[in-house]
Amino acid sequence: MTGEILLRGTGLTKKYGGAFALADADLTIRAGEVRALVGANGAGKSTLIKILTGAVRPDAGEIEIRGNRIEPGSPARMIEAGVACIYQHANLVPAMTVLDNIFLGRQPTHALGLVNAREQRAQAERLLGGYEIDLPLDTVVGDLPTVKQKEVEIAKALSLDAKVLLMDEPTAWLSLHEVKNLFRTIESLKERRVAILYISHVLDEIYEVAQDVTILRDGRVVAACPVGHIDRPELLRRLVGEKLAREVATHSAGDVNESRRGEACLVCEGLTRAGVFHEVSFALHAGEILCITGLVGSKRTELVRAIFGADRLDSGRMMLNGRAFAPKNPRDAIERGVAFVPEDRHHDGLMLQMSVEDNLVMAMLASVSRHGVLQRRKKAAHTMQQISRLGIKPASPRYRVGKLSGGNQQKVLIGKWLQRGTRVLILDEPTVGIDVGAKSEIYSILKSLKQEGAAILIVSSDIEEVMAIADRVMVMRAGKVHGIYDTVRLTEPELISYIGGE
Amino acid sequence: MLAERRRVWLVWHPRAALHASTALPAVLLVLGALFAILKPVFLSQENLISIVHQVAIIGIMAFGMTFVVMTGGIDLSIGPVLAVAGVLAAEVLDKTADSVALATAAAIALSGAIGLVNGVLVARLKLPPIVVTLATLSIVRGGALLMAGPDLHLIRGPRAFLFIGSGTVAGLPFSVLLFLVGAAFFTFLQYRTRFGLSVTAVGDNERAAHLSGLTVARVKTIAYILCSCCAGLAGLIQSSQVHTATATYGMGIELDVIAAVVLGGTSLAGGSGAIPLTIAGVMLIGIIDNGLGLLNVPIEMQLIAKGSIIIGALAITNRDLVLEH
Repeated sequence: MTGEILLRGTGLTKKYGGAFALADADLTIRAGEVRALVGANGAGKSTLIKILTGAVRPDAGEIEIRGNRIEPGSPARMIEAGVACIYQHANLVPAMTVLDNIFLGRQPTHALGLVNAREQRAQAERLLGGYEIDLPLDTVVGDLPTVKQKEVEIAKALSLDAKVLLMDEPTAWLSLHEVKNLFRTIESLKERRVAILYISHVLDEIYEVAQDVTILRDGRVVAACPVGHIDRPELLRRLVGEKLAREVATHSAGDVNESRRGEACLVCEGLTRAGVFHEVSFALHAGEILCITGLVGSKRTELVRAIFGADRLDSGRMMLNGRAFAPKNPRDAIERGVAFVPEDRHHDGLMLQMSVEDNLVMAMLASVSRHGVLQRRKKAAHTMQQISRLGIKPASPRYRVGKLSGGNQQKVLIGKWLQRGTRVLILDEPTVGIDVGAKSEIYSILKSLKQEGAAILIVSSDIEEVMAIADRVMVMRAGKVHGIYDTVRLTEPELISYIGGE
Repeated sequence: MLAERRRVWLVWHPRAALHASTALPAVLLVLGALFAILKPVFLSQENLISIVHQVAIIGIMAFGMTFVVMTGGIDLSIGPVLAVAGVLAAEVLDKTADSVALATAAAIALSGAIGLVNGVLVARLKLPPIVVTLATLSIVRGGALLMAGPDLHLIRGPRAFLFIGSGTVAGLPFSVLLFLVGAAFFTFLQYRTRFGLSVTAVGDNERAAHLSGLTVARVKTIAYILCSCCAGLAGLIQSSQVHTATATYGMGIELDVIAAVVLGGTSLAGGSGAIPLTIAGVMLIGIIDNGLGLLNVPIEMQLIAKGSIIIGALAITNRDLVLEH
């Protein structure tokens, strides 16, 4: 099923300062083809995407679309030529309906400039029917599940007559079930000769959805071939280089499961928040990693937020190290040694305008100040300790957090809790949107914290991750505990069936 | 490993050095040089002191305002607070046989109480700051009029009180000294204290601040109290400078104050802001007023020129910020 070449980039090169962000990269995508684009953070993926969307002008190289040379560097020209990008974070107006979002800014109008509602609806129905996408046109986008929002974005792109779709980590915020839905949509787009460039960190997805793969490392294309020609270990090796690949492999091998579990640290009994979660009971031990997994909507985030005191509990009780624990707000929880790394780093976690140092001390201001005056030496010492312990790059305390890569931002977010007195570390989807190399580093960090006796509670939707790092896994379904299992005696298919995905 | 090699250039990237903080001082220097060439007397020691003397009142108010704006708020009620502080001081002086300590304490305490009310309404009840302080603006002005009526109240003494606005220490007007001490104090507060760091954190990301264990409501409330106290102090300076107090002082002064804060690069959306740059913003307004005055520009042209220069300076500072992103 090889179609005509829709997009061909040759010799694409971009330099920033003295360094090559992208060096002599070639890329072709054919009609009806899904090509995966993979690479660690900083490998040049974003630069390549920005060149293809016209946001960045390459220093050298050519772009042809359907055989016509396109002068690069203009977003308008790329859209006109039929290239559209679905970004990782939604670019929709949540308060408007699906219909309005699809045609935002270019609604069909009457002579007087008023929106021609009938024409708009007809166009939308033709479009969605043509691609077999099922969307409720009159629903407000903010009320839709994430996967449907992605589909709205796809519909929006298609309404622009896009023939080449760039998808930047489309599954980063989707549950297992939703991913399947998205793949069905991609399948139907393929049949209709759309060319798709699929960017993802999740190797499983690449094998499932793509026919071809282009691997970037250090700004260069290190492989471009059908996915069938490259197996997982080889792909990983090309992706991150020899040494890191070995490390990642050992993590997946499950050696972390030899646990020396300590005493029960956090005991939860009958935790209930009306209409959200019910009668959740479990014990978290010192020196273990307990993962909570389940579908999106199984209320895992809500549960851990309540444990942290960020949301209210209606009933149930908790014991922390043998004493009653009933935090009224995050401050209470922090004082008792409970820490929380939220899922949405940008929204809930970091002060993006502030420095690495300020972010690292944010949860421990009391211990780096005396009478309200910051003790700069203590502050700097804590910062340097975390930077070197976590391998935060660049290792500069003054660096602004907003400019760090996703993996390093996550390390900062973890680092701010690594202080004396933290006993329970709760992490919500700690590796979403992080590249393979950084993931492996974060697993190492969590593993060493565990060995130091921390009790770690992780909400994760990534089955591979759960199997790799958890000692025990608690499956939640619709706000209730479905079961708690030892990962040693659990297989991946079993876990999936418990989760209730398929 | 990969990420580090790729990204290291960012650290030394020229744009990182070309931070917004360079633009405003540059504008300040250029404008100062221009006035100095046109009127060499501009650079005389007396004139430089008089510039600071002129801006001391809005400058002191701008310090407190910077913190409020950094938390994503705004305080429009500072004009009436300035007036009510002066009126109350005059009243207390009258009633207590010239107790300066009581008069100043009462004025600052009342200002702080008004700030507390603003803070509680904004931070605890989560009402929009612009509406809350617009309402307290009206209430406090009404209260001042109720207390003092529409008349001027003469303040004849004591000398200690008049010293606040008119005294000099080693050739420096006392109000200039207060401004300088305030500048040092607030700079220290912003960069060296837990409170200062919390203000920046709350403005940058309130949700993250809450999840980090900061008490967001308290930080905001203290910011409003400080802002109001600054306005109260400004009211004392003003009434002692002109030897009178009246309920109508400080009409529209909040606009000058907010202009200085915004010129200093503090984002009205909260988060970024710096006391040293607020000082630069205040000085810019002072230099414009002073320079145009020296050049004998008629008042109507002065107003037009001032507005235009402010817009121009904002455009330059802002372009710099945009570049940075």
